Amino acid sequence: MSYLDKANSFSLYLIVGIILTFVAFVCVVFIIKSYKAGLRLGMDKKVLRKAITSSASFTLLPSVSILLGVIALSGSLGVPISWLRLSVIGNLQYEATVANIVAEQMGTKLDSSLLTLNSLVTIMLTMTIGIIWGGLLSIFTLKPYSKKLRTITTKNTDTSTKKSSFAPWAMTAMMIGLCSTFIGSYMATGIVKGNYTPIISACVSALFMALFERLSKIKVLAFLDSFALALSMLMGMCTAIVLELL
Amino acid sequence: MKEFNFEEYNDSIHNLGRLFLTITFTMIIGAPFLIAKMLGAQIDWPAFFKAITAVLIVYIPSCIVEYLIYVPLLGSGASYLAFITGNITNLKLPCAFASRDMAKVEVGTDENEIISTLSVATSSLVTMLVIFVGVLCLIPLTPVLNNPVIKPAFDNVLPALFGALAYQYFKKSLLITLPPLSFMVLLCVIVPAMINSTSFLLIACGGIAIGLAWILFKNKILK
Repeated sequence: MSYLDKANSFSLYLIVGIILTFVAFVCVVFIIKSYKAGLRLGMDKKVLRKAITSSASFTLLPSVSILLGVIALSGSLGVPISWLRLSVIGNLQYEATVANIVAEQMGTKLDSSLLTLNSLVTIMLTMTIGIIWGGLLSIFTLKPYSKKLRTITTKNTDTSTKKSSFAPWAMTAMMIGLCSTFIGSYMATGIVKGNYTPIISACVSALFMALFERLSKIKVLAFLDSFALALSMLMGMCTAIVLELL
Repeated sequence: MKEFNFEEYNDSIHNLGRLFLTITFTMIIGAPFLIAKMLGAQIDWPAFFKAITAVLIVYIPSCIVEYLIYVPLLGSGASYLAFITGNITNLKLPCAFASRDMAKVEVGTDENEIISTLSVATSSLVTMLVIFVGVLCLIPLTPVLNNPVIKPAFDNVLPALFGALAYQYFKKSLLITLPPLSFMVLLCVIVPAMINSTSFLLIACGGIAIGLAWILFKNKILK
């Protein structure tokens, strides 16, 4: 059995299936509890139902984009682990970055022909431990934090936004730093090693992102906004196939 | 019928949220160990510790900032769910906002708690369902996905991802972008071994970008 055969084995699907069934159960419990509480609070049944149906329809397109992320990661991590990671506290950008960091530390690359099962489980553990902190904070501090917020909100609803004005720039700067690291390394790979595939793939992906962003401003094409990242990535990845075939 | 007490409801949400988060975390942390045992693999601890150090330096601040920002916007029930199911910025938050607008409720109210929880829970279920159907379709396609002809596509997931993200973020501020990008290119050209040290260099580039943003913000160049 090859690495990918084992990474796509039935036992892994079973483990992932059990975890995701539990998460689905949690969602159902919260829906029932909040729906009943809404009714007892005097909220209109129609409004509650509309919140459910509109959320379901709102989610359909972005979910397909997340599915494309599962496909993108499945080439190196297999389907079940990609599925789990993008369904429980994950997002594509984080998972792909962390997988690459671990592969680098193990002296390998995010490439199914180079990865081993040891890499796979180490990547999986690092992805999990790296992202649980928001959840851990919730377990220990969400109750007192939300109680404090409820008191503040009744006094001034704008307090939190006024205090954190540098926060959006800090997040943006961190993302710029992250992108600069990878784009810079692809540019250097082209200059030093003569391998231009990564930087050309990145440029094609960026061009399609710009195109989709522009197109999504047209009213009838607004749905493209949900797909822009996934589709741009797919175009960049397809470019790599074409470049290898040339 | 007993009069409805929202504080009681909120307390029960906190109890359930903590319990479910604890069980979920136990399962997802346990999964790599269980899979390792089943496949006869071993976790490479030295690589794990080196990697997790880099990951935590970069992601712990953003986890804390996200927690502080998202909880007031989502409310308790939706926050517990969002921190279990992820994809908060790109899906759960806009979805909860859309429902809130539709229901015409205000942030911080009891009604917002209810609508946000319904919205995030439904969104999580739909996402899981769509991915489940997609995965069912993917299973028979596995031999196609493993075809050597399309392997270069999977080898270039990161360049494709960061190309698209770079377009989105670089255009927000070229003043913040140019120094870390130039630093990275120059360093990797002068010391080519650094090309494979992105996990270490992203801390340096992130530090340069955040430091620069802070200076520009303090000087009111960024608003």
